[in-house]
Amino acid sequence: MFEVIIGLEVHVQLNTKTKLFCSCPTSFNHTQNTNTCPTCLALPGALPVFNREALHKAVMFGTAIDATINRTSYFDRKSYFYPDSPSAYQITQLYTPVVEHGHLMIDFEDASQKRIRINRAHIEADAGKNIHEGDISKVDLNRAGTPLLEIVSEPDMRSADEAILYLKKLHSIVRYLDISDANMQEGSFRVDVNVSIRPKGEEKLYTRVEIKNINSFRFIQKAIEIEVARQIEAWEDGVYASEIVQETRLFDQAKQETRSMRGKEEAADYRYFPEPDLLKAVVDDAMFAAATQIPELPDAKRERFVQEYAMNAYNAEVITSLPEMARYFETMVALGASAKNSVTWLTVELLGRLKNGVTIETSPVRAATLSMIVKRIEDGTISGKAAKEVLDYLMEHDAEVDAVIEKLGLKQVSDSGALEKIVDEVLLANPDKVAEYRSGKDKLFGFFVGQVMKASKGSANPQSVNDIVKAKLG
Amino acid sequence: MQVDDTLLSKLENLSYLKVSDDKRAEIIAQMDKMIAFVDNLSELDTSRIEGSFAMSDTATRLREDTPFCDTRINDDILMHAPRSDEHFFIVPKIIE
Ligand SMILES: [Zn+2]
Repeated sequence: MFEVIIGLEVHVQLNTKTKLFCSCPTSFNHTQNTNTCPTCLALPGALPVFNREALHKAVMFGTAIDATINRTSYFDRKSYFYPDSPSAYQITQLYTPVVEHGHLMIDFEDASQKRIRINRAHIEADAGKNIHEGDISKVDLNRAGTPLLEIVSEPDMRSADEAILYLKKLHSIVRYLDISDANMQEGSFRVDVNVSIRPKGEEKLYTRVEIKNINSFRFIQKAIEIEVARQIEAWEDGVYASEIVQETRLFDQAKQETRSMRGKEEAADYRYFPEPDLLKAVVDDAMFAAATQIPELPDAKRERFVQEYAMNAYNAEVITSLPEMARYFETMVALGASAKNSVTWLTVELLGRLKNGVTIETSPVRAATLSMIVKRIEDGTISGKAAKEVLDYLMEHDAEVDAVIEKLGLKQVSDSGALEKIVDEVLLANPDKVAEYRSGKDKLFGFFVGQVMKASKGSANPQSVNDIVKAKLG
Repeated sequence: MQVDDTLLSKLENLSYLKVSDDKRAEIIAQMDKMIAFVDNLSELDTSRIEGSFAMSDTATRLREDTPFCDTRINDDILMHAPRSDEHFFIVPKIIE
């Protein structure tokens, strides 16, 4: 039997307004190379000036993972030659990163937890982008110099599932702190996976293989499973030593395999040395005080929801996974909808209707509107079934909830005068059943209620109908 | 370190610069001198100096996160690049 060892490196693009070492904007929809200047194009003589906000956000992250914040950290220069970096080096933090020795907790379905250690988080500059076309490559340096926080875990995960739980928790923390858009498709949350195997019971670490840049949780899960299978097969076939080498591999989603990138790496010598263009980075008392005041994190919020709203652990997990979702829920409750119905209407009805990339943030039905729909069920104005029609309508049209109820004729009849009339008609039309009921056939009660609901075309408030039928049959 | 014609050719490739034939010998000699000059530094004993040592003990200055970019400057830089097109820098094909 084998044990799987996984460590993860995540590059999170910090959502600052400007680049790490120059004032160029960090927005990417602009024409290529328009967000560049002598500093990020590495013209001779241009010097880096450190962005305060990047340091602030790194300290926030360190606080969230209960890490050591190095009040003094240093930059180092990593040399590599590639056209996406005009300076031919990357400024990073190798020897003394700003954040060290943190951890986060992952949660299993049976409510047990595991602590995953985070070795470090350091600040570094991103590279530009290349587009390959025929015998040339086009270079766009708009992204060059954008701030990244590289978050490196210890090899504490023992399965693809644990790796995904870690990544989802990390993603959620980063979103709660609002230090990054953390959009995997757009590359602001990039994951590199280190995978190795060893016979169960051994302590030694074997050869680790790195799988780079996989852009969805599902593909990461798949890539790990496929790589683990490859390594186990090599071991069992007796070719582990020759087949499994320390290298970087790419996940090919179409072919469902990992593939060697050998050739590109060829014994990289990064020639790290202390960055001579920057002095030490110091977190002063004012910044430390401000950046360690962080918003409520997903774990704390989940606990609170369970306590405050008697929510079950699963629902609390779903609702707190994204800060936007938690905010939506809290707005619904603040506006008077019950927590119990808010959970259902948010997680089942609304989420079930969001399609084609529409998210909770871009949902056409906002929290105030969904809260109003729930309140109209709770005050007896409409039935749950009618509420679904109201929601369907509002997904397509911009309108007021009460106006839609009116327009679609979904108002329940609770008015006892109108209901009594219907009940009388039903009883008159079924004299034999009335007699049977009165002679002790209690089961017929449901029949009368059903007939009344049918006569009202479903618009009668069931509770009121029950009361009136009961009273009339005496 | 030996500076010779092979090394110079490699540096030309890396730097995307072309050194004309009549200048090669002179440049090789100059580079030899530069390396010898920098080699003087190895006479210093740095074994007890921290990697983080700097000439100044002050912290690096922090910049406010306020965007500014004069696009005339990058227009100018692109215009002077050996090759550019549609505001891209164009380089020889990168082997992926
Ligand atoms: Zn710049």
